[in-house]
Amino acid sequence: MPGPRQRAVGLRGDRDPHPLSAPTDDPCFFRHEHARLIAALSRRVGVQHLEAVEDAVQSALLSALERWRVAGAPEDPSAWLFRVAQNRLLGELRQRAGRRRILERASRAPTDPEPASDPPAAFADEVKDDLLRMLFVCCDEVVPEPSRLVLALRTLCGFSVREIALRLFASEANVYKRLARARTRLRETRPALLEPSPASMAPRLPSVHRVLYLLFTEGYLSSHAEQAIRRELCHEAIRLALLLAEHPVGQTPETRALVALMLLHAARISARQDGAGGLLLLEEQDRSRWDKAAIQAGLAWLARSAEGDAFTRYHAEAAIAAEHCLAPSYGATRWDRVAEGYAMLERVAPSPLVTLNRAVAVAEWRGPEAGLGLLAGLELPSWLEGSHLVVAVLADLHRRAGHAEQAARYRDRALASAPTPAVRALLHRRLDLGAAT
Amino acid sequence: MPRFLCLQRTLATGPGEAADEPSPARMQELYAQFGAWRDTFKAQLVDMGGKLGDGRLVTDASPADGPFVEVKELVGGYMIVEADTVEGAIEVARACPGLVSARSGCEVIEIRTP
Repeated sequence: MPGPRQRAVGLRGDRDPHPLSAPTDDPCFFRHEHARLIAALSRRVGVQHLEAVEDAVQSALLSALERWRVAGAPEDPSAWLFRVAQNRLLGELRQRAGRRRILERASRAPTDPEPASDPPAAFADEVKDDLLRMLFVCCDEVVPEPSRLVLALRTLCGFSVREIALRLFASEANVYKRLARARTRLRETRPALLEPSPASMAPRLPSVHRVLYLLFTEGYLSSHAEQAIRRELCHEAIRLALLLAEHPVGQTPETRALVALMLLHAARISARQDGAGGLLLLEEQDRSRWDKAAIQAGLAWLARSAEGDAFTRYHAEAAIAAEHCLAPSYGATRWDRVAEGYAMLERVAPSPLVTLNRAVAVAEWRGPEAGLGLLAGLELPSWLEGSHLVVAVLADLHRRAGHAEQAARYRDRALASAPTPAVRALLHRRLDLGAAT
Repeated sequence: MPRFLCLQRTLATGPGEAADEPSPARMQELYAQFGAWRDTFKAQLVDMGGKLGDGRLVTDASPADGPFVEVKELVGGYMIVEADTVEGAIEVARACPGLVSARSGCEVIEIRTP
């Protein structure tokens, strides 16, 4: 042990560093602090300075990492981070304003007002408001549609360009370009136009719903091998959707249905994989692994989403998910109600994929021929033609209807177009069943 | 027990791109790894040290307005480790997250006390 003489040199010795509490208790501490700081600071200085805000936040987080890992986290890590990030940001903006003034004096142009220099401290409710405000900025119509999701992933979830690319199966260059376009548009837009007020937020709500839905399905439907990554995206979507649902501007039947559908799907995500990471068919899943608390919460949100006349795709999808959650077994599923749910979904959001799902439900309810009947006239868009989904369903239905020849043909095509080994294994299990019997 | 001064050395980077700054998720990992490392080697970490800033060389000659050497360009940070042998100290340094990498190395020097 170090003696008194050594104590003078070392940080350790007479006292241990603070316990590293907050950053170690919360596995998303750095990402969520990143989101909170970006939202809070861009509200204070204006979202046109988003890039400077991002730089200041990154630099504050790096300082925290450097300092806290040696000296321990301060009592209020969030407040520390806010102070450091804000000081760096205001320093940078003042410097820029100074440079601009020099240039402008030379050209005798009028000067811009300086950024607010003494912003108030953040309170708990204010943090939620800041995040929500940022969510509406990400989904504003000035941001090009393809940029909205990446901007949300960057600013509200704290993912880096590389991490976003990995999650969206896009190239880093593509993600970077989409982010750059969003930042440019935000910089060029008059700040007042982006300032969310109750009146300006309501029309933007559908876009917010779409982005949250996309965020969720990127996690839920992704063929990403790593389940942790998929689950993380689902959780981010739920976190933001709940934030919206708890705020007056977001308290609409659509938001509630969206929350319900996310919870009712996420409740079953763990059961979709076997111990070795392989995918499981719904009928193979161990229903005792479904998250009952999440299902109860989802059903409660679904009940609350029925207030009013609105019926959206989120309502239909949540209702279908609820049927699956309520069924004690695959065999006892109310396929008539599932099929009805898909029929309603087809009316509000027609898509060949929805028809495909409806055909599967109808086949369970009324037999494979009835399912095939629905698919007879189905016209496939080009993006779906190469997909394994359609051919796999056709192979399965033909197999069950006893059309051996068609079944074999579609089976081969489905196996050839499977996107991942896990999907191919699942198709083998399901479609070879027919070949064997 | 002998003590060792560990100096983080910035290594010349190749012609490739500069090191990426860690993402928040990566920072979370580094933070946790560093905490685990610190717990493991608690008894040997005499001084967790820190980053080094600008330096001045003080000599006999005229009061110089150095720094003659940009200390921080060469040395990122320091710490003092207790170990029976230099190998033991190297083990602590090698296990420190982020210390030994393609762009950074660590010089382990015994501190001889009379």
